[in-house]
Amino acid sequence: MSLDPALAATTPAAMPLKGRFQGWSTALTLLAAWLLVIAATGLYRHDFLSHQTVLAIAFTMAVVGVLAVGQGIIGISGGFIDLSQPACIILSSLVAVRLSEAGLPFIVVVIGAVLAGMIWGAMNATIVVFAKLNPVIVTLATNFIGLAALYLIFQSAQVPIGSEIHSLGRASFFGLPAIWWPMLLIIIVVGFLMRSTRYGRRTTAVGGSRIAAQARGISLKTTRYVTFMAAGGFVGFAAVLFAAAAGPFNPASASTTQLNVIAAVILAGISLAGGRGNFWMLLLSVGFLSTIPTALVFFGLSSATQSIFQGVILMIAVALDGYRARRTGP
Amino acid sequence: MLKLPRAAIAAASSLLLVLGISGDAVAQDKFKLGMLVGGNTCCDWQKAQGDVARALAGQMGWDYVELSNNNDPATALKNAQIMVQEGADAVIQFNGQPSANPAISQILKAANIPIVTYDIADPGMYFVGIDNLAAGIAGGEQLGMIMKAKWDCNPDLVISSEGAGAGIVNEWRTGGMRTGIKNICPDIPAEKYVSFEGSGDAATALQPGRDLLAAHPDAKRMAVVGINDGGVLGLINAAEQLGRADEVIGWGQDGAFITGDNVNPHLAGSVFYFLEGYAVYAIRDVIKPIADGKAPPLKADAGDPASRIQPCPVSAEQAAKVPDMPERVAQLMKAPFPTTEYDLFCPNK
Repeated sequence: MSLDPALAATTPAAMPLKGRFQGWSTALTLLAAWLLVIAATGLYRHDFLSHQTVLAIAFTMAVVGVLAVGQGIIGISGGFIDLSQPACIILSSLVAVRLSEAGLPFIVVVIGAVLAGMIWGAMNATIVVFAKLNPVIVTLATNFIGLAALYLIFQSAQVPIGSEIHSLGRASFFGLPAIWWPMLLIIIVVGFLMRSTRYGRRTTAVGGSRIAAQARGISLKTTRYVTFMAAGGFVGFAAVLFAAAAGPFNPASASTTQLNVIAAVILAGISLAGGRGNFWMLLLSVGFLSTIPTALVFFGLSSATQSIFQGVILMIAVALDGYRARRTGP
Repeated sequence: MLKLPRAAIAAASSLLLVLGISGDAVAQDKFKLGMLVGGNTCCDWQKAQGDVARALAGQMGWDYVELSNNNDPATALKNAQIMVQEGADAVIQFNGQPSANPAISQILKAANIPIVTYDIADPGMYFVGIDNLAAGIAGGEQLGMIMKAKWDCNPDLVISSEGAGAGIVNEWRTGGMRTGIKNICPDIPAEKYVSFEGSGDAATALQPGRDLLAAHPDAKRMAVVGINDGGVLGLINAAEQLGRADEVIGWGQDGAFITGDNVNPHLAGSVFYFLEGYAVYAIRDVIKPIADGKAPPLKADAGDPASRIQPCPVSAEQAAKVPDMPERVAQLMKAPFPTTEYDLFCPNK
């Protein structure tokens, strides 16, 4: 093992048997809850178990899943949450729209949106690092400022109908939406990188104990910058998927995704206080949360009721997060 | 050394003060129009409503002050107080959050400032607006005729993309469209009418639209109505993603996404209100008479408005010949007052 001494001392050390079991229990609980929702809805309405349902859920998962990766990186590094994701995704989506309107190749559209997200993340990091402000307050403020500024720039935008990015939002691959596969890939790869690379372990270490990490020579500033920029990059990529699928959007169009993303991160067991979490669990939490609104419609409940369920699930998730922190804390 | 500059400064200050006072006196002689734009990020016409009012006030030689309600009742209320402080002689507002309207009405009434409200009525305000129910029925009848020709009035679903936040306006528009369909196709069973909350926004309507389609996997012939074009487009985009777009025909309201070269082919038509040009009606029928000292009687009821705006239902083919909003505003500003956008652009007058 080539784990450097700094990390060895600051990364939450070799997980005890109880902790490992808790990791499995999170996965099993999520899987059981998801299967329960599927089974109950399938029993109530047999046509729930159809390809149309799979498509509907997979489309919902795509954008939320990638945003949850960005949110998870902020959380696990101890930045708590990034409340500026709605403004960042709209800014990056607007960049994607403008680049595709200019007729630029799809790869340029993707790079442009990701870069826009990374610049946004760098801006957040700069304020957090140099003004020494709480990241939650900073991102709340930049979200307000960003949305207001975006409103001054545009009121409605959509990718050109028939463009490559527009086609991506309607294409399927192996029976699932084309925009679902990048989400799957990102969660798998990031989950691997966070566990198996020095950067991933440093990020987790800083979240676990800033003081210990600092004492061992890990630069908090650098980590903060890299973390926010990486998270912004993922939001930028989510923006490509969002712009591809959404049709016309306006500066407020992504505001409703925030609760779902935060709930997905907490349910996955990624601690918002930092230092703990497994990104692969996002597949289960995002899948579970994306299934609920679809199931509600099959039960004949109004789509408006999903906000109630989202709120309740978020409360349960926060309570679980607190419980986990107390169990594993000092 | 110091006395002369001080004296000069004092003299200059006095002169400026006198000029300032006289400037104020001149300004107070000019009629001042206040405009409270809606400030909802959903719709570019809300900003354009202010642009048109500003341009017309300029044409009339009036002073003009504009504030945004930010789609927030508290801000709208504060803005009304600012209008009193600003000495506005009359105010126009679009307030998408009408819970503040009674208080706004009271504040401006106490200051003897008449107020025009667009589209959402209040007993203390001159009502200028579209006949939302008539607009809904007109759009529904157009879609009903397509359904009759294409499906012999036998759809599998009639889907409503609701925008419950707009309250009675949603009931008039979306419910009106269902009424219009029933006028043409009266025998569609009630269970074929289904609704979802799309919030009048294509991106927001997308996920609930997909869920609704997934819950009706066997529906092949689907007609979509809604509070506006955005809400209807959300369902159409959802159908495209589930590979069922060829089974959907939509007809919107407000004309926001039916012009230009980026129109979804499954949006068969819409109803133009030309929302950005409402100020022509408000100034022609209410504000200018007030400025001329001939205030009209207060007409606050949407059924008997101070000025009624005519809805203009258009098919996608007809809409293709109508300029987009910035061009419409530009042409409206060149036309002699009080030419309306309905006069200039509606192909079905």
